[in-house]
Amino acid sequence: MSDSPTLVDTTRSEMLKFRTVRATFIGLATLVVLTIGLAVLITIVIRTNWNQRSLADKLAFDPVATSLAGIFFAQFAVGVMGARFITAEYASGAIRTTLTAVPRRVHLVLAKAIVLLVTFFVVSEAVVFAAFITGQSIYRSGHLPSVSLADSTVLRAVIMAGIYLTLLTLIGFGLGLILRTTSVTISVYVTILLIIPIIVNFLPSSWQDHITKYLPSNLGESMLSQTPSVRSFAWGTAALLLAIYCAVIVAVGAVTLVRRDA
Amino acid sequence: MLKIDHLSKRYGETMAVDDLDFEVTPGVVTGFLGPNGSGKSTTMRVIIGLDRPTHGRATINGKTYDEFKAPLREVGALLDAKALDPSRSARNHLRALATANRIPIKRVDEVLEFVGVASVAHKKVGGFSLGMSQRLGIASALLGDPGILLFDEPVNGLDPEGIRWIRDFFRSLAKEGRTVFVSSHLMSEMAVSADQIIVIGRGKFITSGTVAELTANATGTVYVRCADATRLGEVLGALEGVCEPANEQGLNVSGLSSDQVGEAALSAGIAIYELTPQRASLEDVFMSLTADSLEYGHHDAGVAP
Repeated sequence: MSDSPTLVDTTRSEMLKFRTVRATFIGLATLVVLTIGLAVLITIVIRTNWNQRSLADKLAFDPVATSLAGIFFAQFAVGVMGARFITAEYASGAIRTTLTAVPRRVHLVLAKAIVLLVTFFVVSEAVVFAAFITGQSIYRSGHLPSVSLADSTVLRAVIMAGIYLTLLTLIGFGLGLILRTTSVTISVYVTILLIIPIIVNFLPSSWQDHITKYLPSNLGESMLSQTPSVRSFAWGTAALLLAIYCAVIVAVGAVTLVRRDA
Repeated sequence: MLKIDHLSKRYGETMAVDDLDFEVTPGVVTGFLGPNGSGKSTTMRVIIGLDRPTHGRATINGKTYDEFKAPLREVGALLDAKALDPSRSARNHLRALATANRIPIKRVDEVLEFVGVASVAHKKVGGFSLGMSQRLGIASALLGDPGILLFDEPVNGLDPEGIRWIRDFFRSLAKEGRTVFVSSHLMSEMAVSADQIIVIGRGKFITSGTVAELTANATGTVYVRCADATRLGEVLGALEGVCEPANEQGLNVSGLSSDQVGEAALSAGIAIYELTPQRASLEDVFMSLTADSLEYGHHDAGVAP
């Protein structure tokens, strides 16, 4: 048939599904509030207590990282949203209707991934830039050291913060494809981001040096860092590694979807 | 043309579908009859590509479901009316399906209107009754104007008016030359709504045919009312008829024709007041056909485990 649907049609269909449920807007609002709200809160607290700081603390002050501290919390919001984009369909049984319309399952995974990638890249970048600009203006108002986006390493760090959130959304989605239930997916996601780093902390330090830098949360830190340390990856390597994790998890998810009965 | 080609599906140890092999022809309503757990839903799930067959395949005009780029234009299916995202509106639900299959959006409003859900099209489907969800499910099955339609237990949740509506609807779809394949565990429903019936039990094919063909082969019983039921019972028992007392004077006789019963009574000198052959209903046929294949046997009531 000449008017056969393509990946574009599947993606449009998934985008329509994404924006026609209220949970999407609640989730995106959470992302905005966490990232920008925490930037305001944290930078104001730092501004208030600035004069009590020791000189060493003042020298170690990182105006970029502190204004973007909200992404530590936002990473859970985006992971849950990415996961729910598929696990909610399993919970309601809607996945069966979806697969009836789109039996080419790899197409479905690609379409959903494109929707998440585009939406969360745009929203995350907007949110981290807003958080950064808000934070810097609060620092400037208190005559604290602040930085500007004219500095290319600063600009890069802010862009990377948005990319970090986008990639974590897709990791949540990929885990959701593999695990199918929202609760299990969120447990695994939190384990990867929070629990495993704690466990690694108890390992001998010679091991830690080899393992820690590969953890997604540490890759995130490396992506945002302006001064690379010998114990972590450079920002580009870190971003590439995280993107590879993401691609592998989504690919495993796609294979799982193709192989299993719905 | 829908073709089930030596299809088997195993879930772990359970053989849900065991070497089913039949064709469903266009132009008539084909009933798919079997007790609960006999593999009807599994067969339908394999047809629309949700489950992968262990052996064999199901094809639609020679292709398996996942070979279609726009499957909703080939096959419309209503398997589980509640398999919807409850927080999306009926119209948006159909719009998403239409978009994925390049079906014009105006068709969404047409089918919503047709099934009588247009007035609540903007309401979230989570608040729909089962009957309304069934109607929405029918709307989504019709969305792509497909030549083949599958309905799994469609009358569940419908009120009597809805049941009548859906029967007429199946007939009209078949009359348009479409293939209509409807499953049910209710033989009474199939007797009135299907032209052709395929009976399965425990995943295996049992028989197929028209309602008339299925009932014709079954031997019915003969009801006889006479002056001395006890003695007639003994006489008929000697002829290998099985008699069950129906009332004080009456017997239900199986294994003998009404002619044989009448002649036996005459030679024994017993006056007959009433002699009626009872045709087997589709229900009787179904019960006897599937008696060995019920997933769960019936236990005596009142015995708590």
